[in-house]
Amino acid sequence: MKNGHYQARIRAIYNFISDNLYLNRPDIEIKGEQFNSTLLFGLLTGLNRGKALIIGEPGLGKTTSAEYVGSILYRYPLGIVWGSEVSGHPEQTEEKIIGRPHLGELNKGKEKVVWSDFAQIPVKIVDEINRLPETKQSMILNGVDRGNWEYLNEILINDEYSLFATANYQDRGTNTIIAPLIDRFDCLIESRHPGSNIAYTIGKEALVHHPLRHPQYEKELHQILRGDKPYEEKMTLAEGVCDLFGEYLKEQLGLEGLNKEERTHINEEMLGLNFDIDTNAFVRMMLAELSFCHKYGQKRSVETCEDGCHYSGYLCHHIKNCASNRLPMSMRKYAQSLAWFLEDDGVDLEHIRLIIPYTLAHRIQWKDSYLSKKEGEGRNDPFQIYLVKAAAEEAFQRYNEQREYLLEALSVGYRAFAGEEVTPLEGDHPIYEEIKKDIGGKDEKSL
Amino acid sequence: MKNPFEAFHHTGARKREIPLDTILKSKEETLSKILTGYEDLLKNEAKDLVWLMQYSTVIKAYSIAEKGIEGLEYTAEDIEEFCYALDHSDQIPYLITGPAGIYISALCNHAQEQEICLHLRDLTVKINLLGYRLPTDKKLMVQGNVGDFTGIGLDGGELIIEGSGKNYTGAGMKRGKIVVRHNLGFNTGHGMTGGELMVGGRIKGLGKIVGGKLYERDQLIFPNEGIKPFYV
Repeated sequence: MKNGHYQARIRAIYNFISDNLYLNRPDIEIKGEQFNSTLLFGLLTGLNRGKALIIGEPGLGKTTSAEYVGSILYRYPLGIVWGSEVSGHPEQTEEKIIGRPHLGELNKGKEKVVWSDFAQIPVKIVDEINRLPETKQSMILNGVDRGNWEYLNEILINDEYSLFATANYQDRGTNTIIAPLIDRFDCLIESRHPGSNIAYTIGKEALVHHPLRHPQYEKELHQILRGDKPYEEKMTLAEGVCDLFGEYLKEQLGLEGLNKEERTHINEEMLGLNFDIDTNAFVRMMLAELSFCHKYGQKRSVETCEDGCHYSGYLCHHIKNCASNRLPMSMRKYAQSLAWFLEDDGVDLEHIRLIIPYTLAHRIQWKDSYLSKKEGEGRNDPFQIYLVKAAAEEAFQRYNEQREYLLEALSVGYRAFAGEEVTPLEGDHPIYEEIKKDIGGKDEKSL
Repeated sequence: MKNPFEAFHHTGARKREIPLDTILKSKEETLSKILTGYEDLLKNEAKDLVWLMQYSTVIKAYSIAEKGIEGLEYTAEDIEEFCYALDHSDQIPYLITGPAGIYISALCNHAQEQEICLHLRDLTVKINLLGYRLPTDKKLMVQGNVGDFTGIGLDGGELIIEGSGKNYTGAGMKRGKIVVRHNLGFNTGHGMTGGELMVGGRIKGLGKIVGGKLYERDQLIFPNEGIKPFYV
């Protein structure tokens, strides 16, 4: 992958936000380059049409970083992004989030929905999502997952969107994010304190006019979004205004966002990046540890495995729930995006090792015993991410130890699945059991 | 149903190559070539598993050893590796310490490095003839004990033994310097014509010394009034 044209534009956006709008410290490193995880994952989310959950203390730039990324990447003036944001609070209603009846039409006895800006535009931000009561979180499940927004008898389907949700740490006003909703987020990132020295400089040069605001285009976009035209037509018109705002950004700030066609093209490029054989095998190994149960056939959050299990050295023994099928999808999507961003020819182990903690941290439910064992350990990351980073590194070590044998086992798996008479390889890892199950070997433990 | 292992169709026999693999492979190849040269030497010089230490046999063995290593690229580490292969490996059918020492000396004398350090403390056998004909500008340091005829015919080099040697050390040396940290055996410096031999410990007995200087525990013991040069 040596195109580099789009990547250079994305890097310019990263640098501009990092230098001017969201001051931060780099906290991750890949292939000799350092990045800030919030900003990098924010950009990747915008590029791959993903869903990011940003956690952190109040006032540390969770919402702000998402607003800037969304505004520049999709070329929506900041005022529109602000206006479309959904705030999480107990009194929030479906009418404010998704849409409301058109009162004029209703008086005439007709049902017509006025869709919210949030439901319509591709940059979606839910601020403080964990302040939504659990019952109301269910309202946005479908929208978050597929971009389908339903109200009355109408449905609005977004053909592209990125979703950023922010969440504070637990306090008196927060609720637990329900498992089906949290599983729908592709990644979890923490917006961290930039350190006292950088923090001191924030706000030193007060901006009279925010560089990402443009009142005229904001007004035009508001008019388009509130208009009566069909959704697709509105989006075409909005894209026209976004083009103008994009030119404005280029002239004023030297930044080039992406139009819809370019965003689609980039996504196609990303999807074309393949996992190398090691990454493929390592991900399978991870997934096996996250879903396998020797005793009950697979992990289930209602069943607890015992201490004496043969596989007590693996992740399956430390977690309660089973990895969902959204996990490999998220891993794939973000690893491909990262490889694309770094202009690599494919996804390798370095990409996936960086991605795994952020795509897995919010999805794992650790056993209490494991949490108590680990909570006292010194760390630099939030506890959830720290636990997964450590677990992923342990799994990677296991992969390195078994690499040749595992590849052989998977190769034998291929031949057996194709109908060849071969004996599947035995090994001391859940993946070998999973291979046997896939090729129709008898599950010795089934009763 | 699509084969879920499709990506691993051809992976079974394929090995991942890391830089270390390449380094090890290259090391193995070098060692194998060195061993071949040594085996050739044994075939020529020790057909009946007997090797008599004579002036002519040493010269002949050395020239065969030189031919054996001609064009070979190796480092001091490879020489050390060879020493351990001699001692531990089953790659070599037998070890005869005389030809082995001559072969190692030839390797040291033709090595690219000017300074060579061999860590031979763990060797179970004591190699004879180490440092044979060590030329000027070469420095050979040996960690551990060595056998008989160490540093014979030394030709201007510096040989340092961090241990003890046996008999005939420095015999026939012409110039250069041999330093032995601990003790030496009988006939030390036999026939030496020049250079310095310094022993940190005790010397069991001196040979017929022609020239040069010999020190025992920092004391010059040859030439002095008690020990006259052989030719006098």
